[in-house]
Formats: sequence, C-alpha cells, structure tokens
Amino acid sequence: MSLRIPTALLGLLLTATAAHAASQGDIFPFKVHETTLDNGLRVLTIPYESPGTVAYYLVVRIGSRDEVEPGHSGFAHFFEHMMFRGTERYSREAYTEILKKLGAASNASTGDDSTIYQLIGPARELETMMDMESDRFKNLKYSEEDFRTEALAVLGEYNKSVSNPILPMLEKQRDLAFQKHTYKHNTIGFLEDIKAMPGYYDYSLKFFQRFYRPENITLLVVGDAQPQRVEELAKKYYGDWKKGYQPADVQPEPPQTEPKRGHLDWPNPTNPYMLVGYRSPAFSTRDMNSAALDLIAQLLFSETAPLYKEVVVDKQWADTLSAFGDLSRDPGLFTYFGRAKSDDLVPKIKEAVDRHIRELQEKPVDAQRLDRIKSNLRYAFAQSLDTPAGIADQVSLYIGTAGNIGSINERFVQYQRVTPEDVQRAAREIFRSQNETFVTLSHKGGAAHD
Amino acid sequence: MTDRRSLIAALALAGALAAPGAFAQSAPPQKQAQGSSGIDLVTLPSESPLVAIRLLFDVGSIHDPAGKEGLAALTAFMVSQGGTQKRSYSELLDALYPMAASLGGNVDREVTLFTGTVHRETLADYAKLLQEALLQPAFAPADFERNREQLVTYLTNSLRSSDELLSLELLQGEIFKGHPYGHPTEGTVESLRGITLDDVKTFYREHYTRANLMLGVAGGYPQGFPDELARAFSALPAGQKEQKALPPAPKIEGRNVTLVEKETSSVAITLGHALPINRSHPDYYPLMVANSYLGEHRTMYGRLMEQLRLQRGLNYGDYSYIEYWYYPPGTDYPTANVPRRQQYFSIWIRPVAPGDAQFALRAALSELRRLHDQGMTKDEVDTVRTLLINYSKLWAQSPSDRLGYLMDSKFYGMPPYIDEIEAHLKKVTAEQVNAAIKKYLDPDDWDVVMIANNARQLAETLRSDAPSPKTYNSQAPAQVLAEDKAIQVLPVKPTSIEIVPIDQVFQK
Repeated sequence: MSLRIPTALLGLLLTATAAHAASQGDIFPFKVHETTLDNGLRVLTIPYESPGTVAYYLVVRIGSRDEVEPGHSGFAHFFEHMMFRGTERYSREAYTEILKKLGAASNASTGDDSTIYQLIGPARELETMMDMESDRFKNLKYSEEDFRTEALAVLGEYNKSVSNPILPMLEKQRDLAFQKHTYKHNTIGFLEDIKAMPGYYDYSLKFFQRFYRPENITLLVVGDAQPQRVEELAKKYYGDWKKGYQPADVQPEPPQTEPKRGHLDWPNPTNPYMLVGYRSPAFSTRDMNSAALDLIAQLLFSETAPLYKEVVVDKQWADTLSAFGDLSRDPGLFTYFGRAKSDDLVPKIKEAVDRHIRELQEKPVDAQRLDRIKSNLRYAFAQSLDTPAGIADQVSLYIGTAGNIGSINERFVQYQRVTPEDVQRAAREIFRSQNETFVTLSHKGGAAHD
Repeated sequence: MTDRRSLIAALALAGALAAPGAFAQSAPPQKQAQGSSGIDLVTLPSESPLVAIRLLFDVGSIHDPAGKEGLAALTAFMVSQGGTQKRSYSELLDALYPMAASLGGNVDREVTLFTGTVHRETLADYAKLLQEALLQPAFAPADFERNREQLVTYLTNSLRSSDELLSLELLQGEIFKGHPYGHPTEGTVESLRGITLDDVKTFYREHYTRANLMLGVAGGYPQGFPDELARAFSALPAGQKEQKALPPAPKIEGRNVTLVEKETSSVAITLGHALPINRSHPDYYPLMVANSYLGEHRTMYGRLMEQLRLQRGLNYGDYSYIEYWYYPPGTDYPTANVPRRQQYFSIWIRPVAPGDAQFALRAALSELRRLHDQGMTKDEVDTVRTLLINYSKLWAQSPSDRLGYLMDSKFYGMPPYIDEIEAHLKKVTAEQVNAAIKKYLDPDDWDVVMIANNARQLAETLRSDAPSPKTYNSQAPAQVLAEDKAIQVLPVKPTSIEIVPIDQVFQK
C-alpha cells in the first residue's frame, strides 16, 4: 500500500483552487471546480445530480499524433491496452477483482490527440478508484510475455475492423494526405507496425516514462462528488507522482500543393465508396475558419442540406453522404464520405459536391440558415449532457484537443459569431483543389474516379 | 500471474467495500396508467432540462407476412423517414433540425420503437411533428423507393461487409429457422423487392393502433404534457390488442455449422442455442449470474475473455449472452425496447486469425463445458452477485434509458427490471445457479456461424476434428500450456456443415 497522508493535512498542500460557475448563456451549464497539483496534474470536479454514481476519467494528452518514431504507428493505442496489465500492488487479476466488487464500468479509448481512461462507479468508493487508478498511472508494471500476448489482442482489434471498407479507405487517405505529420496514420496504426509490436517491449517502458506524467494529464470527476473531497484525495494519491513529460517532436505538415487520388479494389461485392478529404485548420477558438468549417459541414452534409437532399433524397444516387471533421490539435482533414448506388454515380456525386462548395465560395450563405445550424449545434450538445459519462465524454474531448475545459464555452460563443462572410472565406481557403485527397473503393475491376 | 502482495492488497481493499446494493438509488417516481385516451402511458418525471418520448408499438418483424419479410421495418421507415400529409420528408427534416431532434424509428422482432429526446424549450414543437409523422404519414412513392433501397443496401453492403454483425444476425436465423424470429427485421433482398406501397399502407392501418401502443414520457416535461400527448395519439384507430402466438423455438440436435465464404482476413464466430425463458422468469436470474461469470459483455470480467484474449491473445474480445443484445460492437449496456418473449444463449468470439479458428471454437466450448460440468462455487456466485447488483445500476442512467427499461418491464409483465435484478440476486444461491446452468445451457447442441475465407478448407478442418495445437509468440504460462493440451483435442464432432457464399446471404 502507498504511504497515506492524513487527510487533514491535505488541504494545506493543495494549490489554489478555482470554481467556475456557469455564466448565463454558457453552453456548458455546470459549475466546474478546478485545481492543479504541484506536479502539474489538473483536477476537475463537476458535481452533477446522479445519486451514488461518479464518472472518473483520466485524460492523457497522448494519442497517435505523438507516434513520431518510424515503425511505431498505433503505439499509443497499444499502450492503452497495456495500462490494464497491472502493477506490483494490484496485478491485473487483483485490479479486475476490485472492479467486480465495485460493479464499475471500465474502459479506455485512444484517438489522434488523446487517450481517455473511463471508470464509472459508485461514488462512495471514490477513494478506492483514486487508489487503484493512481497506482497504475504511477507504477504500471508488466512482463514481456504479457506485452507480447496483448499485442495479439491489438491485431485482433485491427482484424475485426478491417472487414469494413472504411478502415482501409481512411488508411489510404491519411497516407496520401500527410507526408511528415503523424496524422499520416490511423490511431490503430499500420498493419505492418501492429505485427511488429510484440518486439517493442523496451520501447513501451520508455513510452510510459516519457508520456504518462502528471503535467500532461487531467483527472476529471463528474457526478455525485464533492470538489473538496476530490481534491484532497487527488493530492493524497497523485501528489507524489513525479513530473517528467517529454513532448514528442511532432513535425508540422507542409502545405499540400496538388490534389491526390487513390483507389482500392475490394475483393467482395459492394457498392462503391468515396472518401474526400481537405486539409483543414487545427481546432482553435480564435481562428474563425476552424468554427466556420463545423458550420460548413452542416451546410453541405446535414440531412437538411440542399446537397444531401439532391444526392440522397431526390436523385437517390447515394444511400449515405456525411462529413466528419473531428476536433484536431494540429491541422488535419475535413472529410466527407459517400456510398454510391453504382460506379458511374461516383463522379456525378463528386461534381454535385463540388458545385455546392462553389456556391458557398461564390456568395454568402443565407444568415437564417446559419442561425438554424447554430441552434442545432447548441441543442445537440445540450442533449449529450444527460449522464455523468455523457458530460465527461464531452469535457474529455475538448481537454484532449484544446487542453482546457473553457474551450467548450468559447467554441459555442465562436459559433454564434460566425457570419456568412466567415463561411465564404473559410470555404475559399479550405476547399481548394490542391488541398484535396480523393479515395475511392469498388469491387475488383472498378477504376479510380477523377 | 497473481503475486501474493497483489492478493493481499486486493483482499484488504475488497473487505473495505460496501455491501451489495449500496450503489443503489431510490427508485424515481413513476406512473403507469391507461387514461381516457385508451393508451398505455408510462411517465417518469425528473428535474432534467431534457424530455424523452418513446412510442412502443406491439408490432415487429414477426408480423411480416410470408414473402413480405421486411414489411414492418419498411413501414417504420416510411413513418420516421418519410413525408407527412402536410410536408415532404425534406420539409419534415427542416422542421426537426433546429431542435437537433429525430423520430428514431427502430424495428425488432416483436416491437417497433419511435423515440426522441429534446430540450424542454422545444418540446411543444417536437410533439407536434411527432404527432404529424405518426398520425398523418404521406406514404409518398419517392420515399418508398428510397427507404426500400436503404434497407436493401443495408443488407447487401452494411451487413455483408461487417463480419461480426453478419455472424450475429445469421446465428439468430439458424437458431430460429422456420420460426417467426427467423428472418432479419430488414427482410431479404427478394422479399423487400416484392413489397408494394399498398402493403405498407395496409400494414400501418392494421398495426399502428391505440391498442398496440405504449407511450412513455420522461424528464422535465410540463405538468399535463403526457396526458395531452396521449390524447393526441388517441386519433389512432382503436385496434385490438392481440399478441401474436409464437411456436417454441426449434430444437437443435447436435452441432450445426454454417460457414459463410467470403474474402476476409480473419474468422468471425458466433454460437448459441434457444432458451425457453426470458427475464420475467425466476430462473433467468441465476442464469444471469452464470452468464456474467462466463462472459459479461464488453468487460474483462468473464472466463471467456480471460481465457481467450487475456491469457492467449486469440482476439479482441469474447462474451456471452442470455438475451438478444442490440448491436454488440457499439453498445456497453443492454439497450432498452428490444424485448423478446423468446430468447437465446450465445457466445460471441470476435474475429480470430484463420489458423486459430478451430482452436478458438474449442476454447470457448471448453469454457462452456467447464461451466456446465463444474458449475460455480459459492465464492464465485457471491462475487458475480455483487458485480451485477452494482453494475446493472449503470444500465439506465439517462431519463430516456430509465423510461425504456420501465416500458420493457411492462412488456414482460414484470416489476421494474433493474429492481428485480437486485431483488433476485440478493437471494440467489450457488445451488440455484448451478441448477440453472444444467437446465438451460447445453454444450452439446448448438448452432455456430463462422465467416471465413476458404470456407471449404475450414469445413474439412472442422469435420476432421483433428488436434488444433496452439502456438504462442512468447513463453506461455505452464498452466495455459497444460490446458491447451485438453482444448486442442476437444471433440466438436459437427453434425452438419453448410457453406453459404456471401452473395447469397440475405438474398432470399
């Protein structure tokens, strides 16, 4: 057991604490209590009416973005798996036995920019969670045999996903779109790197020492929790964790200078798929292009968009047409995805999208349409905040990308400020042909579409 | 391996944990009524700024006429993804969009659900649109063509390209072959093509009735709102509540293998058999303990996960079920409003390397055999009891989920399910658990579906029942190697093996 410090002393050791009440008009409606320990660990408590339950999250700002060494794509995600392999105090089996007693839901996820560890369990066992989770973050220890076995589970995870055309298409798209930046690979990594993972035991030890450090991590407790108690326990269990984060040297991606094309043959019968990406700005609450792009995604690809109505509802050229541009810490890709009814419709759909993009570039969009989109974004966000985990998921997303919770309110204020002119400018700057990466997939024998 | 210090630390901590049930919360106020509207109404008020509405109709794919499989699904699509008599589908979407709302149609074997959650600021507007869609659907020909093709594409592209979903769906078809549960809710390519717009109109008229509707409202709604909404839906025809009789599931004799031939890099495996009980039966709860011990969904807790993934690195995950589970790859907890009177037991082995397929099947069967023959100890039952009583409290956290669970309990004619779990599990004994295992789980008679490249070769491998030695990329623990010696020669003895090309799956 770790050294226990009397709770009465802990208050004296805590650094200054701030409580941010929600201001009128803020999209995030809950009071946030925030403190930072001396070692840099940020601790956020968000009391929420969920009697007996808390969501206990640790947000590590490490993702596939940080996999800068060649041959190590997918390692952040692999390492997330290893975090469940135990410590000297709590072996994997012992950790699992305690979770069973708690009846807790335990999971983790890794993305481009962050890895999020989630525990949803009984509020009365907050100290148990603090003890177990701090122990594995400070003292993770696993054998090389366990490491090699877990690498196979990651390969299994890749295999379960690769029967769907989307994964290989995204792989192809990123590989084409990026040359230097680590967004070149999917979070799960390239297959050849996954296959090589069992040989990287020593690298994994360094990875842990280098990246899993308090100043790069946020502890987030949402639900039936008292901020003072959370902060006292955080100090008690995480206070002796040593600093030492060494950021990865992530190389910026130079501007794209020409359009890129790729095609994948698919061995099984399928309708043709298309995936089109444009180099896009990093998440920013200052750069209006960043916010305007979220609105453009709706203007073009929501179910109410004229483009969607034309292609999916009226002409029925595609059964799916949607966009995704996850928040990204560095400049990334805005991507839209479609599944056409037949091969000959792929270029027609692409032409239709291009035409609607040109319209956005050539004339300001109707301000009322923008207002409706802003309304949709606000209500959709509000509706996601109905459980401790739902709240923690949203907060984690913004912390992982922007590094702070304040960016949530800032982002929605920014949305409100986006004007038709902002949309027009963003459309002109982002949707340039030299920014485009276009990947198609069709049953064997299909051809790439230009 | 567990070392002594870890065990001591774990035991010390475990001893400090509170008794089962301490995680429980007092039941929220709820009301179930059948007022002047003649509609079953379930309400669940709270202080939430959100309001969830669920309309659950007693109509599902079991009501599809022969040769028109998919009609219930297509009808629901025409209601939730079609125009109304006042506005086109596009106009309906335009109206829903600013409130970030949808009508959320979903069809299962026995029920059809329409659901939405909105902020209370937009509740009145949303309720009007919901009524319009449900009471005055346009049934426009263009919507019909689009929705029918959406369903066909789902079968031919989405399902056929997801090996896991494909195996999970096909297993149900095998277990319930010739039974009303036997076809996908989406039907088949040919049956969908045989459905006409008039079929949809007739189906809607016959089944979307007051008698078939259960209406649920939860969250921070204004006083009187649920009754107003119920009165609005009293415009539906009265109908007559008549639960369709179901034959018993066909008895599985032996071990029946269905192999889907498809170019794929791994092998997805799902196996199971029918169960004669559902959650309304007292035996369900001891069986629930056994199932959780074997393979609690998406957790590291079960024996299957421990033995196949964590000890042997065979794949990404391995779980078991005693109820239909909606969309296992994408859900953590059981989804509300997919109730079924008849259920099945299943084991889901996530894709494995082709060379490990036979071994993985044997390893899972070995665990099933072990559970069947050896049962669970009292300590094991106590551990799972605590786990489930606490864990099940997480299944219905949002107002919408709580409402859905309550409505399901009404469907099954039982007290609230989450409360029942605690009430039953507090009392369940190891003897009851082991008796339920013996009575309901069958390691000898089951169907298995495998999605594989070179299915013919896999068929030969399975038919031969030859040893399937497992090799590892590092030194495996001695205990694992010792267990492997028994697993690799476990007799499977397939009774039948059928190979189905991928392009014939869901075709007719």
